[in-house]
Amino acid sequence: MTHAGSADSDLSGVTRRSFLGTAAAVTGVAAVVTALKPLLEADFDPGDLGSVEQFLQKHYKEMTPLEMEEALARIRRQVRERFDIEPNLRDARSLVGVEFVYALNLSRCIGCRRCVHACVAENNQSRNPEIQYIRVLEIPKGTIDIERSDHHYDHETVPDPDHFYMPVQCHQCADPPCVKVCPVEATWQEDDGITVVDYDWCIGCRYCQAACPYWARRFNFAEPEIPKDQINPDMAYLSNRPRPKGVMEKCTYCLHRTREGRMPACLEVCPVGARKFGDVLDPDSEVTQILRKKRIYVLKEEASTLPRFFYYFDERRPQIREGDAATEGAAS
Amino acid sequence: MAIGIAVCFLALAGWFLFGPASASFPRTESAVIAASDITIDPVRTVQTDQPVVKIAGFEMHCMNCHGLFESRPETARRLTQHQHIVLDHGLNDRCFNCHDNEQRDMLALRGSKKIPYKQVARLCAKCHGPTYRDWQQGMHGKALLRWDPDDPGRRPLRCSECHDPHAPAFDPLRPLPGPNTLRMGDPKDKQHGGEVDLKDPLRKWQLEIDNRHLPAEPGPSEGIDEGTAASAAEAIR
Repeated sequence: MTHAGSADSDLSGVTRRSFLGTAAAVTGVAAVVTALKPLLEADFDPGDLGSVEQFLQKHYKEMTPLEMEEALARIRRQVRERFDIEPNLRDARSLVGVEFVYALNLSRCIGCRRCVHACVAENNQSRNPEIQYIRVLEIPKGTIDIERSDHHYDHETVPDPDHFYMPVQCHQCADPPCVKVCPVEATWQEDDGITVVDYDWCIGCRYCQAACPYWARRFNFAEPEIPKDQINPDMAYLSNRPRPKGVMEKCTYCLHRTREGRMPACLEVCPVGARKFGDVLDPDSEVTQILRKKRIYVLKEEASTLPRFFYYFDERRPQIREGDAATEGAAS
Repeated sequence: MAIGIAVCFLALAGWFLFGPASASFPRTESAVIAASDITIDPVRTVQTDQPVVKIAGFEMHCMNCHGLFESRPETARRLTQHQHIVLDHGLNDRCFNCHDNEQRDMLALRGSKKIPYKQVARLCAKCHGPTYRDWQQGMHGKALLRWDPDDPGRRPLRCSECHDPHAPAFDPLRPLPGPNTLRMGDPKDKQHGGEVDLKDPLRKWQLEIDNRHLPAEPGPSEGIDEGTAASAAEAIR
């Protein structure tokens, strides 16, 4: 080989060494130039790069109170710069001796999607591209067949007499597959049962999205867009502070509200009272009563993720005007 | 030769730099949601004690009129006042089933017991026992503000804050806009009732399954189960 190489150099003046050297150098330059290309694009936001502090920031569980205060100050500054508001940002810590559980009455839900949009407004989700934590499935009556469900329904009025409605959001599983697959421990389950994401630690690999049987995790494919007048200044580090591009997010049972004793936003907006929330360790809470006394359905129970989100039924079908006649016509 | 190689690579770098733009994320119009669409205010404002009725622009209490003019006890006749009230409450179509005949600013419990308007739930419990029981335990209806049942700030809504007592069934609602699923095109065309993309083996398989299980026209005898979700759950059990 050496001999052949020297023969080539005799002919052209290019040695194997100089060829490879030049090729590597030029490829390297080309790679660097390509990597810097986003700088030239019109919609490039320097905020995408993040700050040095953000880069050096520790994992949520390893931060000292002082470091957390510094991180909160940085986020407040970023929110002020981006949205011209002063956020009430804090680190809402997990409650002790509380296990949050959600119950949803399938007999009552009419599929009006009020919860979906109240959630978006409360949790500062991106309006465009659209990110929604709750997906309301419309399912033909007589079965709970997710394969035949549709979440793009568009009726003049709901409920449609031939369908029932099943809103699906994060089930806050007791054995969460999304947490198991995270390669960097950017998502974990807290003591009160809420699975959270540290948006500053997430690398955006989307493994958790693939692992979740409830399609509950959402990815920020692009820089989230929230109109300045619609931002909710009531924020917590682990829930609804503005997210950067390229990270996962999910329902947190509105932990900035619920950890302070308040109801989740989706519950308060429900016009038919189909949603119930509370502490399952409290024997008097409404969710405990429901789990004891109502008939319960667990979505994808066979996935064995032990959800903390339960569907339940009333003994009687509730009365909805107009819709009644049509249903009775179909049944008779 | 070396220069030739360098030129090749530089051309490549130039192509990377000035070539076709990288794919940008598609953005479409955002959903427009009015603040009134997602308000948490109770659906209805309810009569508290004392109940106030507006008659010809004047705010009147019940006994202002009913204390002066005696009205006859039979209740199936047409109203001469309160004509905006539409009564659509099934069998319960007599005024004095719920309103106290003598003291009109009270509600009528069993016998001659009278209760104030704010205890309307006890009145409803006369007929809707199971629902009343569920409501007491938080299984029916809605409570605002606090999730802890012992929290004094918790605000459970009373029956008449959601239901119109004269016509208690809910009206159907206009749904808010559905998800704007990007990158997938219009799902209605391909997945939901429209044309199925037969190049996709999964879709083809799904279509076969659907055709096998679903009759083309569900006849009346097939029957869509009236028990709805409840019976569906029964079936699953």
